[in-house]
Amino acid sequence: MNRQIRQLALGLIACYVVLFVALNYWQVGREQELNARFDNTRQVLREFNKPRGPIVTSDGIVAAVSFPTAPGEPYEYRREYPTDDLLADVTGYFTFAFGSTQVERLYGDVLTGSTAEQQVRSLGDLLSGDIDAAGSVELALRHDAQSAAKFLLGGQEGSVVVIEPATGAIRAMYSNPTYDPNTFVNADFEIAQEVITELQNADGNPLLAQAYQERYMPGSTFKVVTTAIALEAGILSLETVFPNESQWVPPQTNDPIQNYNGSTCGGDLATVFARSCNIPFAKTAIELGPEAMVAGTEAWGIGEEIPIDLPRAAASTFGNTDNLAQELPLLAIRGFGQSEDQMVPLHMAMIAGTVANGGQMMKPYAVEATYDQAGRVLDRTSPEVWKTPVSPANAALMTDLMIGVAERGTASCCIALEGGIPVAAKTGTAELGDPDNLDLSHAWIIAFAPADAPQYAVAVALTNVQSTPDVAVTGGRLAGPIAKGMLDFLLTGPGAGQAPPTPTTTVDDGT
Amino acid sequence: MTEARRFSEYANGATARGADSPIARRRRSTELTLVVMVALIIGAAYTIAALGTNAEIPAGIGIFVGILLALLLFAHVVVRLVARGADGTLLPLAALLHGIGFVMITRLDDELAGLQATWSIVAILAFVATLLFVQRATDLARYGWLFFAVGAVLLLLPMLPGLGASINGARIWVSLGPLNFQPGEFAKIALAIFFASYLAERRELIAASTWKVGPLHLPEPRYIAPILLAWGFAVIVMVGEKDLGSSLLFFTLFVVMIWVATERVGYLLLGAILFGGAAYFSWTQFGHVQTRVDIWIDPWSRSLDRGYQIVQSLYGLSDGGLTGTGLGRGNPNQVPEAQNDFIFASIGEEMGLIGASAILMSFILIVGAGLRIALRTDRTFEKLLAVGLTTIVGVQGFIIIGGVIKVVPLTGITLPFVSYGGSSLISNYILLALLIRLSDSSARRLGELPDDPTPTERWKAWRLTRTVHRAENKGRPIPETAGLST
Repeated sequence: MNRQIRQLALGLIACYVVLFVALNYWQVGREQELNARFDNTRQVLREFNKPRGPIVTSDGIVAAVSFPTAPGEPYEYRREYPTDDLLADVTGYFTFAFGSTQVERLYGDVLTGSTAEQQVRSLGDLLSGDIDAAGSVELALRHDAQSAAKFLLGGQEGSVVVIEPATGAIRAMYSNPTYDPNTFVNADFEIAQEVITELQNADGNPLLAQAYQERYMPGSTFKVVTTAIALEAGILSLETVFPNESQWVPPQTNDPIQNYNGSTCGGDLATVFARSCNIPFAKTAIELGPEAMVAGTEAWGIGEEIPIDLPRAAASTFGNTDNLAQELPLLAIRGFGQSEDQMVPLHMAMIAGTVANGGQMMKPYAVEATYDQAGRVLDRTSPEVWKTPVSPANAALMTDLMIGVAERGTASCCIALEGGIPVAAKTGTAELGDPDNLDLSHAWIIAFAPADAPQYAVAVALTNVQSTPDVAVTGGRLAGPIAKGMLDFLLTGPGAGQAPPTPTTTVDDGT
Repeated sequence: MTEARRFSEYANGATARGADSPIARRRRSTELTLVVMVALIIGAAYTIAALGTNAEIPAGIGIFVGILLALLLFAHVVVRLVARGADGTLLPLAALLHGIGFVMITRLDDELAGLQATWSIVAILAFVATLLFVQRATDLARYGWLFFAVGAVLLLLPMLPGLGASINGARIWVSLGPLNFQPGEFAKIALAIFFASYLAERRELIAASTWKVGPLHLPEPRYIAPILLAWGFAVIVMVGEKDLGSSLLFFTLFVVMIWVATERVGYLLLGAILFGGAAYFSWTQFGHVQTRVDIWIDPWSRSLDRGYQIVQSLYGLSDGGLTGTGLGRGNPNQVPEAQNDFIFASIGEEMGLIGASAILMSFILIVGAGLRIALRTDRTFEKLLAVGLTTIVGVQGFIIIGGVIKVVPLTGITLPFVSYGGSSLISNYILLALLIRLSDSSARRLGELPDDPTPTERWKAWRLTRTVHRAENKGRPIPETAGLST
C-alpha cells in the first residue's frame, strides 16, 4: 500500500502545483489585462474609499471637498462641490461609475495621497496613527473673478477667460452651459446615469468646458494673428495704406470679398485694424501666401492642442491647408477669421496675452500648486513660455493697434475702463453662414489692460448669438461690456488689489 | 504472575511510564515554537488588517493575542499530555490556516468575526475532546458500522422536512432552533472511518477479484456491495441536495481509499469512468450543473450576472498581484460569499501571490504530514484512515481553491480551517485530532517513545488491581481477565 500512498502524495502535490501555476497566471500573468477590463471596478473603488483632499481656489474658497459618510453607506466618503456649477469646468467631477474629469482626474493621485513623494512623507506620520495622506490642489483661478465672469455672462451661451499674460495663470474660466457636479456625484447609480445621460444629450454640451475644450469661428479677432504674421514677415507696417473699397475679387475666383455689412473701408494699417475692414487682411493673407500664412499660424500654436494642465484640451485650427495654394479665395477669407478658422476661447485670451507680454505666449495653467496632507508644497507651477510668435517690437506695435480699436475703433463703444486705465482690444463677429439662419453669429472680444503695464488678458466669446433687425450682432457691442466688466472688476472694482495669492489651504493638518 | 497482575502492573507504570523520550520531546518543542510563532503572525496580521481598514491599532489587540495564545497553548498542552509522540507540525499548520482565515473574516465582517471566535473556541474544545476520547486509534475500527450509520443519518438529515434548510440553493443545512449546521462536514469523517475499517478487514477479499464476468475479474459482489452502497448513497444524497462539491469529495475519497487498499490501479480507472459518466449525466440533467460548467468555461461574457462571483474573484486576485493590496486595503467584499467559499480569493487579493502561495504550501505540508503518518504506521486500518482523512483535507482544499481560480468548475464547499463556519471548523479540528492520534500511535509502536497506557487503561487497571488485591486479601480466586488487551 505504501507505493500507492506515495503516488497519492505525488498526485495531491501535483494538484497544488497546478493551483500554484494558475495563481501565477491570474495574479501576475494576466494582472494588467484584468485590471484594465471595463467591469473591473477595483482600482476606482479603492480610490473611492480613500480620503480625498480638497480643491481650493487661489483666494481660498473650497471648490471640492470630501466628507466621511455615515456607517452603512456604500462608500466611505461623499464628494461635494460647495461652489456648485461655478468651477465645474475646472475641478471636473469624481464619480464611482462614470469616471472623473479635469483636476479630479489629473490630480487624483495627489488628492488621494498616492504620489510617491506623499507616500514617503506620510511614512513619518504612520506612527502617530494618521495614515491619511490626502493632498490638496490649489487652483490658479480666483473664486471672485470666476463669480464675476459668471455674473457678467448672465446666462448667455459662451465663455469668459481671464489669464495673466506674464505667467499664463488662468484667473477665471467660465462657460455656459455648464453643470453642477453635486447633482450626480453622490447619487445612486441609476439616478446618476440618468442625470449624466441628460447632460450628455443637452444642447451646448454642458459637460464640456467650452472655454478650453471647444473651438469656434473667431471672426475679426483673428486679424490680430494675420497682422502679427505679416508684421513679422515684413510685408506690413504702420505706413502701409489700403485703398478705400467695398469689394475685392481674390485670385482664382469671380466672387468678390466684401467688408462687414458691405461697407466701404480703407486707410492706413491703424485705421483698417481699428475699423476691422476685411479686404486689407484678405489681401495680406494672399500676399503672405499659403506657406507663410500656415507657418505663421503654427507659430501662434494654432493646430496644436493647448498645453493647459487639464485633460482633453482642444486645438485651434486654420482649417484644411492641404490644397490652399489652389484655394486662394479660402486663404483670403481665413485671413480675417472666417471659413474654417476655429479658435479655442482660451487660445484667444492667450493671443491677447502674447501681445501684452511682449510677444511671449505662456503656457496656461489652472493649477497653482499642490500640497501634501500637512500643507507642505509638493509642486508649484512655474510659468513657462510656450511660443514666441512675434518680436517685442512688433508686439508693441500690435498693442498700439489694439489700443486704437479700444479708443477709436469697433470696441470704442463699450470697453473704456473705469479710471481711464488704458486698454487694448480686438473685436470679432463670426458669421456662421448657416443657410437656415444667416443671422447666427459668434460675438468675440479679446482685450488686455492696463495697456501700458498689462496685468490681465481676457477673451469673451458669445456663441450662437442671433442678430435681430434692431440689434445687429457685433463683438464690440455684445462682448465688449463683458470684457470691460471683467477688467474693471479686476483693476478697479472689488477684485482689485488682491495680492497675488499666498499659498493657503483649508487642510487641517492639526498643527 | 497472573495475566491480571501483569496488566495492572504495566498499566500502573511498573514499566517506564512517562519515561524520557528525546524524539517526543523534540517534536513537542517544535510544536510549541511553531505555535507561538503562529500566534505572533496572526496577532501581527490582525493588527495590520485593523490598521488597513480603520487606520488604527485595534483596542483589544493584547486580549486577542492573549486568548489566541491561550487557546493554542491549551491544545498544545493536551497534545503533550495525551499524544506526545505525534507529528509536531500538524497543529501549527492548521492554526496558521485557521488564524489567517479568522483575520480575513474579521476584516470582511465584524459580526461574523464574533461568531467565528466562538466557533474557534468550540473547535479547539472538540479537538481536545477527540484526543481525550479516542485514546487508541484502533478503537475506532471496532465501530465501523456504527460510523456508517452515523454518516448515513448525518447525510440524510438535511433532507428531512422541517429540519433541513436550503441556503444558497444547496439543501445541506440542518436548523435546530438558532443553530444551523452542515452535517455533511461530519459525515465525511464518519464515512472515512467506515471505509477504512471495512477495507482493512476485507481488502484481500476485494482485491482477489474472484468473480468473473466475461473478461472482467470483479470482486465478489458481497464484499464490494457495502462500499458501493455507501458510495452510491453519499453521491445520490449529495446530488439530491445539490451539493456538487461534497459529492465530488466523497467520490474521490471512496476511489482513493479503495485504490490504496486493494493496490489495484484499475479502481482509479473505474472511478474516473464512473465519475465521467456521472458528471456527463448530471450535466445533461441538471440546469445548475450546466450553469456551473458554462461559467467555468466562459465567465467573462456573464460577468455581471451568473459569472459575477468568479469574475470578481479573479479581479480581486489580479488586483492583489504579487504582493497584494495589503490587509484591509483591498475590496474583497466585492466577491459574494467572500468569507466562505471565496475566502481564498480574499487572501489572494490582500496578501497577494505570496500570501496565497503560503496557503497552498500549508495544505501541501498538511497533506505531506498526513500521508507520512499513513506510511509510518504498520496497521492497515490506521494507514487507510490516515489516507482517507488526508485525502479529505487535500482534495477539499483543491476543489474549492481550484473553483475560485477557475481551474475546475466552481462547487460550493468550504476551505478547510480557513472558511467561515462552525461545522467546517469543528469537523476539521476533529479530523486533525484523529490524524494526531494516528501519528502518536504509530510513533509508540515504532518505539520512538514508550507505549504508555492510556488514562482509560490506567483506570481499568486501577480497578483491576483493587479487585486482585481484595481477592488476594480475602483468599478468593483471582477473577477473569478477559476483555483486557495490552
